[in-house]
Amino acid sequence: MNNKYLTVSVINRYLKDQFDRNEHLRTVFLKGEISNFKGHTTGHLYFSLKDENSRINAIMFASNAKKLKFVPADGKKVLVTGRISIYEATGSYQIYVDDMQEDGVGNLYLAFEKLKADLEKEGLFDQKYKKPIPKYPNRIGIVTAPTGAAIRDILSTIKRRYPICQTLLFPCLVQGEYAADDIVRNIELANTYDLDVLIVGRGGGSIEDLWSFNEEKVARAIFASRIPIISAVGHEIDFTIADFVADLRAPTPTGAAEMAVPNLTDLSKYINQLSIRSKEAMIKQVNYQKLRLDSIKSSYILKSPMIMFDNRKQKLDILVDKLNINILNKTKIYRQKINHLKSNYLLNNPKELYSDYVTNLANLLDKLELVNPLHVLKRGYSVTYNQSNKVIGSIKKVKKDDLVKIRLVDGYVESKVIEIVKEVYNG
Amino acid sequence: MAKEKETKFEDKIKELETIINELESGDIDLEASIEKYTKAMKLVKECDDKLKNIEEQVNKIVKENGELENFTVEE
Repeated sequence: MNNKYLTVSVINRYLKDQFDRNEHLRTVFLKGEISNFKGHTTGHLYFSLKDENSRINAIMFASNAKKLKFVPADGKKVLVTGRISIYEATGSYQIYVDDMQEDGVGNLYLAFEKLKADLEKEGLFDQKYKKPIPKYPNRIGIVTAPTGAAIRDILSTIKRRYPICQTLLFPCLVQGEYAADDIVRNIELANTYDLDVLIVGRGGGSIEDLWSFNEEKVARAIFASRIPIISAVGHEIDFTIADFVADLRAPTPTGAAEMAVPNLTDLSKYINQLSIRSKEAMIKQVNYQKLRLDSIKSSYILKSPMIMFDNRKQKLDILVDKLNINILNKTKIYRQKINHLKSNYLLNNPKELYSDYVTNLANLLDKLELVNPLHVLKRGYSVTYNQSNKVIGSIKKVKKDDLVKIRLVDGYVESKVIEIVKEVYNG
Repeated sequence: MAKEKETKFEDKIKELETIINELESGDIDLEASIEKYTKAMKLVKECDDKLKNIEEQVNKIVKENGELENFTVEE
């Protein structure tokens, strides 16, 4: 009888099957408000989504919850994507949430991404436009709300770290419809003052609260600012367009102040260090010069200058010797030359020459005398000349009846050839 | 607004750093290094003085009409 009755688990399994097979339920886009939200230690999130007159259970596993861009809390309007199925144990159906965004945020988020992409393409975020933040500012401008945590944190941090720095607050709206324009006005106003750096930002808040810092006009005002800007919008995790355009992004207002001013104690320690370094460098320089001087002083020249002279003296002696030798040689040579010349001179002395000539002459005369053919005449010889006064050496040179002249030692005889007799003298 | 009387604090620190690098490089003659050393010491004193006598700067706020007024945060 009772076999037609089903067990609870069977019926629940059946219903789960129906749900899982239905592809409409496999990906569902749901809008609602979070209520009785409970985050489990495992990281899984349990809550329900409701509208004015109905509610549905929801679960988001830790792996998906990690990717959330906001902190879910009761009352938050959200846009959810997920699948609907039955949890067999309780038989209740619920939506298994894959992704969840704040409602009204969805389109904001898209707008943010789009503007960010456009401005990035235009180059507003380029590193080359980032102005350096001065290390030791004299006057800091602050563009934020005059009340609230942000300005308090900034001023207290500056006072603690670097009280000698002046601050100038440009009070402005940081939230709501008119905030963006107010921020732009104040940034431009600040640029008319002599400021070293400008902190622009606000305290934490929802994405809507921070939205004015995502406005394009604010981004352009920051970009155009002559004064370097440190942006400090919301908490660490919040990134607004202002942060991308600013010259430096600080995680929080306090962080911005710490980046803007050095810490006094560090600074005075640094200056102290600098003075020590300069003293040491100076001492090193002086010692170096002293060493140089000492080494020079100890050089042998200064110790005993006489050595230098000794060297000189010795050199001098050598030179003198050389000189003498030279002179001697020179004079010897010259003397020789002179003698040579003298002897030449003597030799060529005309008187000398004369007597030489005379003796030569006498010698010649004697020689002549010896060979003087006429001398032979003394010994009875005679020389016969023809009419042209030529000596006749052979009978061939004369004919009969020729007139000839015979030279004797004491004169000559005019004669005529009567006869020629050939007779060879055989001495 | 208070005009910059003497050169900015930042410039003094920079000059001090350059002088010290020159001194440490060691390739400057004695006279120059003495002169630079005295200048360095003067700068150190000036910077120290600035830090020592901390007349705390009063924070100002720019009013609507552009006037400046002292501004203190309610703790």
